[in-house]
Amino acid sequence: MKLKEIKCKKVIDFLCDNIEIDFDKECCEKIKNHVHECEMCKKYFDTLKITAKCYQNYNVDLSKESHQKLINKLGLEE
Amino acid sequence: MTEEELIKLSQSGDRKALSELVKKYEKTVYNFAFKICRDKERAEHTMQETFLSMVKSIGQFEGKSKLSTWLYTVITNHCLMAARTGKKHEWNSLDDEIDIFEEKNISSWNVDPEKVFEDNELKEQLDKAISKLPTDYRIVFLLRDVEGLSTAETGEIANLSVPAVKSRLHRARIFLREELNKVLQYEA
Ligand SMILES: [Zn+2]
Repeated sequence: MKLKEIKCKKVIDFLCDNIEIDFDKECCEKIKNHVHECEMCKKYFDTLKITAKCYQNYNVDLSKESHQKLINKLGLEE
Repeated sequence: MTEEELIKLSQSGDRKALSELVKKYEKTVYNFAFKICRDKERAEHTMQETFLSMVKSIGQFEGKSKLSTWLYTVITNHCLMAARTGKKHEWNSLDDEIDIFEEKNISSWNVDPEKVFEDNELKEQLDKAISKLPTDYRIVFLLRDVEGLSTAETGEIANLSVPAVKSRLHRARIFLREELNKVLQYEA
């Protein structure tokens, strides 16, 4: 495997554990430097942040009726 | 009252404490179920089943893991079971190595994640993209990237090793990226 691929793998592995790169932390220095110079990892990082944000912000409201149905089904009271 | 106290009271038969616990977690449970199945009716059913199961087994809850972790596990198992009895479209067993995917034509995206809630077209695109992902990959992506749990917690809930979580997560991310890229890229 090429050296670049090993570095990319490390970045991908890191980003599986951390969705954010803490740019102030020293341990992130190598990751940060690689992401700055590797277009593939930069795109991976950017798109995964947008994707996560989109799905995080897409929420549904629980209606009062649904809440009441649940409480009744469980035989509980307010 | 702390969660621990509410659990203790519920275990001794206090129905009021039990409804407090339900109220505390119903939105989280409903939303997580919705994020997996993308259907409000099914999400409501999953939520009911999850809390029925909680009410039934709260006495055996030992507090070794967080109550939220336990609830996520119940939802996950419920949805995996439903997926198994439904259409078979799961991906074939893949090894747990992380592959490098050289991207083809990923461009900049024309999207503002802060406006998701008011953009119905975007919502539809998000539903479509994630629905194509096999359920077990969807669950790993949602637990990790959307709910923000750690890889270890995700593994515990989905019954997967940490390397298996990572490889599924990476594949799910790449898959969603390719799907979303088709609809979100700036038009030239
Ligand atoms: Zn790279």
